[in-house]
Amino acid sequence: MASALQLVGIRKSFDGALALDGASFESQAGEVHALLGENGAGKSSLMNVAAGLYAPDAGSISIDGAPIALSGPAAARQHGIGMVHQHFKLVKPFTVAENVLLANPQPHFASGIRNIRAAIEQQVGELKFSIDPDRRIDTMTVAEQQQVEIVKVLVGGAKILILDEPTAVLTDAEAIGLLEIVRRLARAGTAVVLVTHKLQDVKRFADRVTIMRGGKTVAKLDPRHASAEELTELTVGQTSALPERSPHEGGPTRLNVGTLCYTRGDGRVMLDNASFHVRAGEIYGIAGVSGNGQAELAEALIGAIEPSSGEIWLDGTGDISRAGQTKRREAKIAAIPADRYAYALAGSLPISDNLAVAQIRSGRYGSVVKLDRAAMRQDALAAIADYDVQGVRSVGQKASLLSGGNAQKLVIAREFSREPDVVVAHSPSRGLDVRACAAVHQRLIAARERGAAIVLISEDLDEVLSLSDRIGVMSRGTIVGEFERPADRQAIGRAMVDHG
Amino acid sequence: MNLVDFLINWIANAPVTAVPYALAALGLIVAERSGVLNLTAEGLMLVGALAGAGTSLLFVGHPAVALLAAMVAASVVSLLFAVLVVVLRINQVIAGLSVVFFCQGLTGLIGTLAKWQNKQLSGLVPLKIWPLSEIPVIGRIFFMQDPVVYLTILIFIAVNFLLFRTMLGLRIRAVGENPAAADAAGVSVALHRILAIVAGSSLIGLAGGYISVVSVKLWVTGMTGGRGWIAVALVVFARWAPWPALAGALLFGCIEALIPHVAAAGIRVPQYLMLMLPYLATIAVMIWVGAKDHRGSQEPGALGQPHVREERR
Amino acid sequence: MISPAPSASRGLGRVTLDVRQDLSPWKQAAFVGASLIFGLAISIVILAVAGIPPLTLASELAGVLTAENLSGVLVQAAPLILVGLGASLAFRIGFWNLGIEGQMIFGGIFAAAISIYDIGPQATRLVLMGSAAALGGALWVLLVAFLKTRFRVNEIIATLLLNYVAMYFLFHLLYGAWQDAKTAFPQSTPFRPFERLGDIGYGVNSGLLIAIAGVLAAGWLIHLSRIGFYTRFISANPRMAKIVGVPVQTATIWIIAASGACSGLAGFVNVASQEGRLTQSYANGYVFSGVLIAFLSRNDPIVIAIVGFLIAVLFITGQTLQVFYQIPFTMVQMIEAIIVMAVASSEFLIRHRIRWLR
Repeated sequence: MASALQLVGIRKSFDGALALDGASFESQAGEVHALLGENGAGKSSLMNVAAGLYAPDAGSISIDGAPIALSGPAAARQHGIGMVHQHFKLVKPFTVAENVLLANPQPHFASGIRNIRAAIEQQVGELKFSIDPDRRIDTMTVAEQQQVEIVKVLVGGAKILILDEPTAVLTDAEAIGLLEIVRRLARAGTAVVLVTHKLQDVKRFADRVTIMRGGKTVAKLDPRHASAEELTELTVGQTSALPERSPHEGGPTRLNVGTLCYTRGDGRVMLDNASFHVRAGEIYGIAGVSGNGQAELAEALIGAIEPSSGEIWLDGTGDISRAGQTKRREAKIAAIPADRYAYALAGSLPISDNLAVAQIRSGRYGSVVKLDRAAMRQDALAAIADYDVQGVRSVGQKASLLSGGNAQKLVIAREFSREPDVVVAHSPSRGLDVRACAAVHQRLIAARERGAAIVLISEDLDEVLSLSDRIGVMSRGTIVGEFERPADRQAIGRAMVDHG
Repeated sequence: MNLVDFLINWIANAPVTAVPYALAALGLIVAERSGVLNLTAEGLMLVGALAGAGTSLLFVGHPAVALLAAMVAASVVSLLFAVLVVVLRINQVIAGLSVVFFCQGLTGLIGTLAKWQNKQLSGLVPLKIWPLSEIPVIGRIFFMQDPVVYLTILIFIAVNFLLFRTMLGLRIRAVGENPAAADAAGVSVALHRILAIVAGSSLIGLAGGYISVVSVKLWVTGMTGGRGWIAVALVVFARWAPWPALAGALLFGCIEALIPHVAAAGIRVPQYLMLMLPYLATIAVMIWVGAKDHRGSQEPGALGQPHVREERR
Repeated sequence: MISPAPSASRGLGRVTLDVRQDLSPWKQAAFVGASLIFGLAISIVILAVAGIPPLTLASELAGVLTAENLSGVLVQAAPLILVGLGASLAFRIGFWNLGIEGQMIFGGIFAAAISIYDIGPQATRLVLMGSAAALGGALWVLLVAFLKTRFRVNEIIATLLLNYVAMYFLFHLLYGAWQDAKTAFPQSTPFRPFERLGDIGYGVNSGLLIAIAGVLAAGWLIHLSRIGFYTRFISANPRMAKIVGVPVQTATIWIIAASGACSGLAGFVNVASQEGRLTQSYANGYVFSGVLIAFLSRNDPIVIAIVGFLIAVLFITGQTLQVFYQIPFTMVQMIEAIIVMAVASSEFLIRHRIRWLR
């Protein structure tokens, strides 16, 4: 039997950087086929080629054994390929019906909306979703928006359904519900491609798995006949252990967050009396499902937003929740934000400037009237060597030319150069490869050994579990439970869901 | 002269001064709904004004022909802007400003070389909607305006329908809100943006043509005098929705119409300070918009952002 | 039931755009140079259509560049360099200062007020007038900076509209309280000799000294001082700048004020050197010139001096064509716009690699 979807020898480069290096993939109708790999392995790029968004440099695509050429997303849809992207492709101020209509055009708007509404209701009934076609997307939860995406693709009559990291934004319970629906769709004859980096999803729900690494497909196997260790080794290529850590001794409280509240511009309450404290020499992990106020908590801690009420008390400095920049800087608080290029680096400026900016006011790099470029250069060279930042041709090169991991090392080099008392790290290993990830974790542990109080906010539960001395679970803008190390994964999972 | 006469004269003149603001703002809304920050109104209105006046002088025909020429001319010039921002993706502010100053230069050059300056144009006869026009006060204000005033209202109804009740409108708005989503849905971002710019610009051209052909009945270099910038502000004030833009245009029409009537009524106000009024009123309105909260705004989500699909950091 | 629309391209393959990370400075310069030549070529064609054959244009241009006319070019270069500096300082922190003409007008008004009300000793009169002009320009732009920070008023529209307000305020003065009683023209009484910027020898006007001082000061501010270091971060990533401790608001206010002060000084130079009194039109045509000079020089003060000089040549040529060939002066603005469009388009080629895929 011919494969429902077959990609052979796909190559794709972005300005010389090879993202896909002769990757191949095939999936059958009626199966859930997982595409497993690390961040940056090329999974999404490969599927974007299948969905017609990226034009491949080389390689061929065939549907049911017949080779096809894709001129764009519309052509892919004509061939029955539908993709649910990791970042949803929904127009926020539109209703569900309008979004589905946009992707499945009809000759006339008024009759189109009627037809689409009927089609949505049919799909929603079959899938047992609860979506009102006339609701606006921006009033819906992330899980509901995902359902809209799936309905949108199915209304278009997709025979091949590609789901890009569908469980990343869901609670465990929601993820299981979704994957069961996916199984049902496969049984009804759809070829489902499940792009993921989560082993559990693959083990529990996939009939077959293709593994990608470094832009190549490295293996194709039946996940039920492979152990978790085998799969990990295939995806990662190597495994690394966490550094040694001394037993946890409770030091004095360094950071105390008290009844912190924040209401967003659109009226949504993002932080609702969040309270916790962190002691010296301790890593305090904050776990939770994405979108429960972690981002806002991180932004309030690093001073990107001003909380509506509550306090952020630092030992020796006092409340900094509404403090000016001068006081904040004196407080020796290091910020490692999730979005490096939004909050930590100026991508278009030289590496040396990005390193120097945090200490420019101290006079280390010259007076107000004359900068000391030589000192900046010297310190930058030292920091690059110390923190093993790779890919630096000169300290005058733009920071945006660094890869994700090296850019993160640059941020850490700058933030740790002042020996901080408090470190706020938000998803510090997001988008990094295994080696860079390990380097970042080592730096955090080293700061802990030195006696810093560390807040680690991460949506990756494994990261929180492996690093933290204590874990607070965040849900709906507040801390709903705290767990001591070694924490029970199941209990934390329940706490994340029960309140969310 | 008594107060009632003053008020009736003033209000009856307001629609004529309001039409250019209304049409230009509507044209800008169409373009901006597709996600393109459009600052070109001041320049394209001049193009419309010159084309309208030139057509009237060269081919003494019905003013409708002149207005049509104004629309076509502005659309053609707007193609230049469309290529700059949609195809070449240059900064939309720089592109918009360049087009405005290009148009100011070009219309000044053509107007002078063709000797169209200060030549009387025939204009349009007001349309009396009998017998409604015979009603005292109301008749003067609502049923004795020129045809373009009534046409403007029809255009607003049509554009509103187009934007919110057709597939094309759905695509244009999708491209403006979330070009990546529209692209993934198979909608050509570039095509719809170019279309929205060119179509909207025809209305901006009509606004300019109306000033020279119907309202002033002359061509003078730089005659739009900042009305295009006020229209840009009106769009922000209207939060990118057509009907509030019409209301705002009427407000500015009233303010502008006030200036000659105050002088005519013999009220002694320094002339040049009076002429500042529309600009100061615009700034006041913008302060008011900025001071209130933005929850109801329909500002397109991707306004001012060029769309590049294959871009990766 | 649902039939998708036909796709946009078929058969011929697809054009894709890649974002280039880096391109050598030489190639960048080549792209910019080629587009500049393209823009000038279009301008020459338009002028030829308007009745100025290229040869006539060349001889007029040569005439402008002769020794005796060069001093006129240098007088014209001073205000252009100053408005270029003014625009570039604001652009460096992402503030669209399009109120250059309004700031020039208020610079001129403030300077003229010192003359009209006879304030201060004769010896320092010019210094006082210059300082007042800088203050006038700075205050006029700070009004917008205030509206922007306090009420989120868009500075593009606000600065542009305030140009009209400033113009009508100038008219109000020139047709009223400040009108020279001896003439019927809308202009003030002439400045006294010690209130005028004179020649300093070799046909060079002292206004040029002010422009050169401005270039040096801006060069120091941008390249050497700490505030210049801050501006790079404010324009590259304002959110990040705030988090890492850059005093964003203070630096922004000072830079905006400096921008307005430069424009105010340009107004002073025009009224005190070329005109010798307050007139109606001493600020006309400078908004877009400022944008153009800042844009072409990529906001670098030294380059601004060179580009400012070249635009002065364009201005003087435009004046010559106006006098002898009845070509309206707005032609200068049109050529400026064509050049900006052409050079801006070259950015596209610098930033993207276009590829045709089969």
